[in-house]
Amino acid sequence: MMLAQLAVPAIEWSSIAPELPPTVAALVLLLIAIARRRMLLVAAPVALIGVGVGVLLIDAGHTTAGAVAAVLGLALPALVVAFPDRPTLVQAWGAALSVAAALVLTVWQYTTYLAVGEGAPLAAQAGFAGAVANDGIALFTRLTVYLAALIIIPLGYGYLNDRRINRAEVESLILLASVGMVALATANDLITMFVALEVLSLALYVLAGLARRDRRSQESSLKYFVMGAVASAILLYGMALTYVAVGTVSLPQIGANIGLVTTPRVVALVALALVTVGIGFKVALAPFHLWVADVYQGAPTSITAFMAAATKAAAFAALFRLYLVAFPSLANVWIPVLATMAAITMLYGAFAALVQSDVKRILAYSSVTHAGYATIGVVANSNAGLSAALWYVLTYAVGTIGAFGCVIAIERRRQGEVTLLDLRGLGRTSPALAAILGLCLLSLAGIPITAGFVGKLMVFQAGIAAGFTWLVIIGVLSSAVAAYFYLRIAGTMFLEQPDLARGFPVVTTGVSLGVSVSAALVLYLGIQPDIFLDLANSAASLVR
Amino acid sequence: MGLITLTIVLPLAGALLLSVSRYGEIGSKIIALATSLLTFAASLALLASFNLADGSLQLVEQMAWIPAIGASISLAVDGVSLALILLTTFLTPLILLASWDTVGDRVKGYLIAFLTLEAAVLGVFAATDLLLFYVFFEFSLVPMYLIIGIWGGAQRRYAAIKFFLYTLAGGLVMLVAILYLYAQAGTFDYETIRQLSLGATEQRWLFAAFVVAFAVKVPLFPVHTWLPDAHTEAPTGGSVFLAGVLLKMGTFGLIRYALPIFPDATVEAAPWLIAISVVGILYGAIVALMQSDIKRLIAYSSVSHMGFVVLGTFALNATATSASVVQMVNHGLSTGALFLLIGFLYERRHTRQIAAFGGLAKQVPVMAGLWLVVALSSLALPGLNGFVGEFPILLGTFQVSPTAAVLAAFGAVLAALYLLWPYQRMFHGPLEGADNQNTTDLKLREIGVMVPLVALIVIIGLYPKPLYDLVNPSIDRVLVEIEDAR
Repeated sequence: MMLAQLAVPAIEWSSIAPELPPTVAALVLLLIAIARRRMLLVAAPVALIGVGVGVLLIDAGHTTAGAVAAVLGLALPALVVAFPDRPTLVQAWGAALSVAAALVLTVWQYTTYLAVGEGAPLAAQAGFAGAVANDGIALFTRLTVYLAALIIIPLGYGYLNDRRINRAEVESLILLASVGMVALATANDLITMFVALEVLSLALYVLAGLARRDRRSQESSLKYFVMGAVASAILLYGMALTYVAVGTVSLPQIGANIGLVTTPRVVALVALALVTVGIGFKVALAPFHLWVADVYQGAPTSITAFMAAATKAAAFAALFRLYLVAFPSLANVWIPVLATMAAITMLYGAFAALVQSDVKRILAYSSVTHAGYATIGVVANSNAGLSAALWYVLTYAVGTIGAFGCVIAIERRRQGEVTLLDLRGLGRTSPALAAILGLCLLSLAGIPITAGFVGKLMVFQAGIAAGFTWLVIIGVLSSAVAAYFYLRIAGTMFLEQPDLARGFPVVTTGVSLGVSVSAALVLYLGIQPDIFLDLANSAASLVR
Repeated sequence: MGLITLTIVLPLAGALLLSVSRYGEIGSKIIALATSLLTFAASLALLASFNLADGSLQLVEQMAWIPAIGASISLAVDGVSLALILLTTFLTPLILLASWDTVGDRVKGYLIAFLTLEAAVLGVFAATDLLLFYVFFEFSLVPMYLIIGIWGGAQRRYAAIKFFLYTLAGGLVMLVAILYLYAQAGTFDYETIRQLSLGATEQRWLFAAFVVAFAVKVPLFPVHTWLPDAHTEAPTGGSVFLAGVLLKMGTFGLIRYALPIFPDATVEAAPWLIAISVVGILYGAIVALMQSDIKRLIAYSSVSHMGFVVLGTFALNATATSASVVQMVNHGLSTGALFLLIGFLYERRHTRQIAAFGGLAKQVPVMAGLWLVVALSSLALPGLNGFVGEFPILLGTFQVSPTAAVLAAFGAVLAALYLLWPYQRMFHGPLEGADNQNTTDLKLREIGVMVPLVALIVIIGLYPKPLYDLVNPSIDRVLVEIEDAR
């Protein structure tokens, strides 16, 4: 009787379909790790379930999703049989396949649910009673995050093995972090948003401290944890005050209510301030960027690449939703604040990077600078700005992953930090690697025919169209300053004599695969960006 | 594929072929030379199909590129850009031949960089889409940076980074202006943007942004300081290309973009730019006089000579502005030839100090003779090409501002001094010291490189009409708009 009265809420599985394979894979891979020698005992039932689910889905008409489930299910025993003595390889392949499946499902989701017509804005799909918004932001963040994860898994595999930190939980944590990031990007209420943020943060705290015996890795993890926890607390306080002000946690409803006269304005403003501080920490906008250099330097490099590329995308997605969906009626308050923060961030990051000699630290400050550029798109507070910022984050991600990938190759022979000295004469000793690193640096500097140029072009254009010419001029100034330190790295590689005593970079299949894919993307998005720009233009659709 | 596209794609294809092939040094050199000769042939075909009577952009080629933001690959030429395209494709094979066996290591990389650079510069001259223009304009920095930085002299790193940052910073300012224009026009198409009617204040700011970018490139006083370093440290081929072609991107940009898009601001700013040019002419000449390094001397003479070009451009009358385009070509030929000769001398002696040489005319008569002809052309001796450019510039300027013309004429006098005095010290006087006595004369290959240059120097000097016929209609078209703005 009681049961019959319970309304079963509708669950729109399709709105979170891409997240399912990595989530399941994270759990299964942990089980595999526990099973050790008896991996097949886990793999066989998983294969059965996978194929079963696949058949059911195909039967229900979802051919693509069903095929993905069946293939993934069958892949696991195949991997276990193929690499019986190399559990880390099973983990890496399993994780990579699940992320690839997520990308396939993202495309499927796009064609089935989001794409409406040529040039028209994407349809927005709301799921889970409004807790999940599957729209342009979600689509772009999925692409960026899963692409980043897919590239850093092969990049990091050999590197983590070399450092003897390729523990069983690594791949699962990367998968969980990715899922958390995408959940953050799709979260359309404050609770979901906070939970997603914690899922990704907790996974990253552990990943940053993977190298337990390395003091810098410990420092990185601890600093990230303490700073991140404080930021989360402040953000949560801000969210709580928002709830106090408007009495709802749903972002669209907050947006509708927060400008009303019945809303206590002071509470709303304090909430906005606290949210700004909290989210400012997460995307590393000055003056809340202080953790970035130490955390990025100390964390294992493949994890740093992942944090720089994917976390940034997810944090920006949350930033868009908070400001454009929940706080649009306070725009006259947050626009000047964010614009100032963006200006300081761009200048500070560029100047701070000038005096660094550790390559990872240079790239860390460069990531601070890039957060500033992307914020121009937010400040523009327009559809063009939103598209530009989404696109910018993607172009930044491919460039920075490529750069960190090359650092990995060099770091593997050094077994420690990579300074400018280690790059001397790389153009002679390994020309291909140096060319790719050079290309990625040009992209980060925003030189034409690379992805970074088109990225900068779009945010600057959105900024000018919205009347923020002064901010764009500051962006241009900081680009000119930033070009110097990118050139300094390139110059060390190409214009100096090699120091043969320092040995040669280790380029394995995984590393070369990862960096070549990034380099190809940098060039492709730089020379022929039309498809993705169209996508970004139509992605400016929000569930409001 | 259209003829313009072909001209740009050829060197790129050559570069691509070299980077994937496994030819040895000789094979690579032959491929590069053949590519650059083919490019030259393609540009001659371009000239053949060009209608000399028409001043507007011709031979339009258009392809979709990024329709999402209204940018397309649109290429076209007018007389001005065609003259500079011909100059580029003419100089490149000569440069490759001149550095046949003097590059030292990584020859293949050098050739790839040069062909890429040629393609980028051709793109700058042919693009009629502002975004495409900007892409070529900025991208040309990368190969030039590598050419100076890898194959340059002792201070090459400093010079390369300085070159890159100066021009990049200038270019970024222009990017903001281009984006502003885009926000107004909704497209990057040149002709559409040219039709925009902009307010006076808007024009002033945008004009300033464009002028900053081009002034760094020209280079105008006081943003010229990268030039002496870049020229001195660059390898011979790099210097020739820099002086011959890259600097022209700045003056070309002024005539193609700054003048017609912002006619009111141009008229308003012309007196200031004339003043700056005159300062540059005199400053460059005086500093050149004091140099002890012959290559640095010629670098400063470039500052002075390019000052003449800008002076002529902003005199804004048919005489001077057309002549400034002719002078761009002339400067490319004669300064390029001087840098080649300096390179040849440096290969023999490994020094560029004027004081180290003396009495060389007895030892190396061919080199001395060529040097004298080229120096005389550079100082605008009547009968050689420098005169037919510089004299009309002074004439046209005199109609606008007699003071500026008189002061600039002093620059021409100083040119005689800074070019002939070192010639006298290096090639005349007693032949002393084992080094001087053992200097060998030009080889056949080197003479072969110089002959086409000197021939053109003489031909243009005696009969400049074809060159003027090429550029006049296009310049008239620009000046019509300027007249409307007065």
